[in-house]
Amino acid sequence: MNKVVLGERLVPNIFHLIIEAPEIAASARPGQFVMIIPDEHGERLPLNIADWDKNRGTIEVVFMNLGVSTRKLANFQTGEFLEGVAGPLGQAAEIGQFGHVLLVGGCFGLAGLYPLARQLKERGNRVIFLAEARDQAYLYWESRIKKVVDEFLTLFRTDCFGSGESLAEMILNLKNKKPELSRVIVMGCSYLLFTVSEITRNTGLKTMVNLNPIMVDGTGLCGACRVTVNGKTYFACVNGPEFDGHGVDWEEYFNRRRAFLSQEELALANLEKKVSESQE
Amino acid sequence: MGKIELFEPGLAERLFTEREKPWRQKLRQEMSVQQRLKIPRHKMPEQPPQQRIRNFLEVNLGYSLEMAKKEAQRCLDCGNPGCVAGCPVAIDIPTFIKYIEAGELEKALDKIRQTNGLPAICGRVCPQEIQCEKNCNLVKAGREPVAIGHLERFVADYLSSPPLLSIRPERVNSGREKIAVVGSGPAGLTVAADLARLGYQVTVFEALNIPGGVLAYGIPEFRLPRQILRSEINFIKSLGVEIKTNFIVGKTASLSDLRNLGYLAFFLGTGAGLPSFMNIPGENLLGVYSANEYLTRVNLMKAFRFPDFDTPAPLGRKVAVIGGGNVAMDAVRTTLRLGAEEAVIYYRRSRAEMPARAEEIKHAEEEGVIFHFLTVPVRYSGGEKGRLKSMVLRRLALGEPDASGRPRPIPLPGSEFEVEVDLAVVAIGQSPNPLLIKQLEGLKLGRWGKVEVDQKTMSSSLPGVYAGGDSVRGGATVILAMGDGRRAARAIDKFLRKC
Repeated sequence: MNKVVLGERLVPNIFHLIIEAPEIAASARPGQFVMIIPDEHGERLPLNIADWDKNRGTIEVVFMNLGVSTRKLANFQTGEFLEGVAGPLGQAAEIGQFGHVLLVGGCFGLAGLYPLARQLKERGNRVIFLAEARDQAYLYWESRIKKVVDEFLTLFRTDCFGSGESLAEMILNLKNKKPELSRVIVMGCSYLLFTVSEITRNTGLKTMVNLNPIMVDGTGLCGACRVTVNGKTYFACVNGPEFDGHGVDWEEYFNRRRAFLSQEELALANLEKKVSESQE
Repeated sequence: MGKIELFEPGLAERLFTEREKPWRQKLRQEMSVQQRLKIPRHKMPEQPPQQRIRNFLEVNLGYSLEMAKKEAQRCLDCGNPGCVAGCPVAIDIPTFIKYIEAGELEKALDKIRQTNGLPAICGRVCPQEIQCEKNCNLVKAGREPVAIGHLERFVADYLSSPPLLSIRPERVNSGREKIAVVGSGPAGLTVAADLARLGYQVTVFEALNIPGGVLAYGIPEFRLPRQILRSEINFIKSLGVEIKTNFIVGKTASLSDLRNLGYLAFFLGTGAGLPSFMNIPGENLLGVYSANEYLTRVNLMKAFRFPDFDTPAPLGRKVAVIGGGNVAMDAVRTTLRLGAEEAVIYYRRSRAEMPARAEEIKHAEEEGVIFHFLTVPVRYSGGEKGRLKSMVLRRLALGEPDASGRPRPIPLPGSEFEVEVDLAVVAIGQSPNPLLIKQLEGLKLGRWGKVEVDQKTMSSSLPGVYAGGDSVRGGATVILAMGDGRRAARAIDKFLRKC
């Protein structure tokens, strides 16, 4: 059992938990994730570690309210207990001296990239952070991220329909303006990972994506999270979750993420029914 | 008796002493050998197949007290008990059976527990037909062997809250030495129980959210009800063992972190949690699962109670399970219970080479599983949205024995055929989970990444680090893992006494 030290809504559909997990806080590294089991009937849900505090013995996670598990997690109040948290899992993100690094984050990925940004900066990189969101109201942790990066840019989806720049323009302009830019790291929804990988393909920009496939155990036991990268099958939970975006078999990745779609809808409907019954 | 001595010095002598006790002599005289030989083996009462494929309740219902006593009378209490030599943990089988005959069930359980911490589990999942029961002297007399497994299960179940009786720490003063056991499967639980009895402080670190290892994620409830597993684990906890779940040694903390916390010896019971795939085209289609994933969803995460539990299981109408071991049987029988219309086992050798327990094969057949021998998949094909639609199989013939001693399957050219299938479960084996063992510098690994150990002491190439079960064997049985645990416990005790 792990205590929720803080449970809050950050923006309309994104939530933030600070959780007591001293052992995980002592070993966490940027790019790793935890498995959270909300309650006795819950799934094992993989979530990126957004931050940790060794002294307080806490970790932070940020997630979008989407399915049954995230719906349950979103309802956790300060002082309540989660069934379990296991981690840190996965390989840490590669943090080298890359020169200029562009981090592209959307949705929960803004928070997930935060520890990468901080450590990349500490290693002497010049860090440009591009936050993608629906509009200003969906942007969170702006000031927190700004403290650890050199440049903070935003791209609001509402702009795309107006006169604003598109994601491709922004990235390619950055590349032209900054020849030292050698690496792009993307975290967020699958579509963002795919889109950025397509934008930088054939540009010479190394693009690392933080994959988020369906997982069960997260320790290499089951192989649910199989992804094909450069023609070879990997288990994202132990070999990743960070992979070369230009090598990912995206069609397979998108298909595999949809494996349980109809059951996920059923589970959510079932939870909503339970909740409405308990409220009556 | 040389084989027995391997497990426990002085065992043969102790067996003899027990046998010569007056109550045993008296019991032997109460019924003649001729009378005993006349009693037929008692069949295990079962749920009828058509009923049980619609539920996840246990298939075997267990003996009644009367049946158990009667079955116990079949044991001749012979002077050269082959059964004990056939048991990887050398349970004093004749003594516990004779206690049943005498109606002394607590003593029977106590006798088993002296060498086996998990009797309710072993009575259910051990392949008795190739171990204890194979060596039963009744077989030589042309009879069916004593149902040792069923009796073991009976005793353990009958006394569901087990009294401790003679199980007391033998070295109470050494309570300060801390031992870390990595993995709470059968090997880890056994080593933990044995060392706790010797007075050590044992912590078991389990990566998953529920203890039991393969007993929790692999073996289905219809073969091993979870309250049985829980009560066996509670018994081990009652010996003073601490179990920490959601703790991944190698991630949450390293082995050297644990050393810094004062742990003096380590046992790696990390299991064979790395599923093998065949690396054939289409294996990543939706609808192709490792048996580990399929069973973990259903057993550990209780997907059979979806949507009351949140984890879903893949559902198939036409199901193919690849493999012929216990894991394949567990998977195929689970698919039937989750509504498969047709469930087929494809195995690359013939029936005679199937490694599954005889009872599992029998149960699968009764439940309507179809067996296709000498066939192997060569590719999967997908339809809409990357979903599995069909598979192409190839026929094989058996050739000369390979390294494992079993005949090597040889592909027959031009024998390919295609079948419609919407769920395929790959149960062709697994190798040791590399997460921890690959990061230990200096730990010698052998073929398939198995930890190399000294067979007698289970000590690895790293001082103070022992290993056993599937991390060493790659995919064996519960009882062999437990045997490893016993040997490791004795060696760890010796190692720490020298420190």
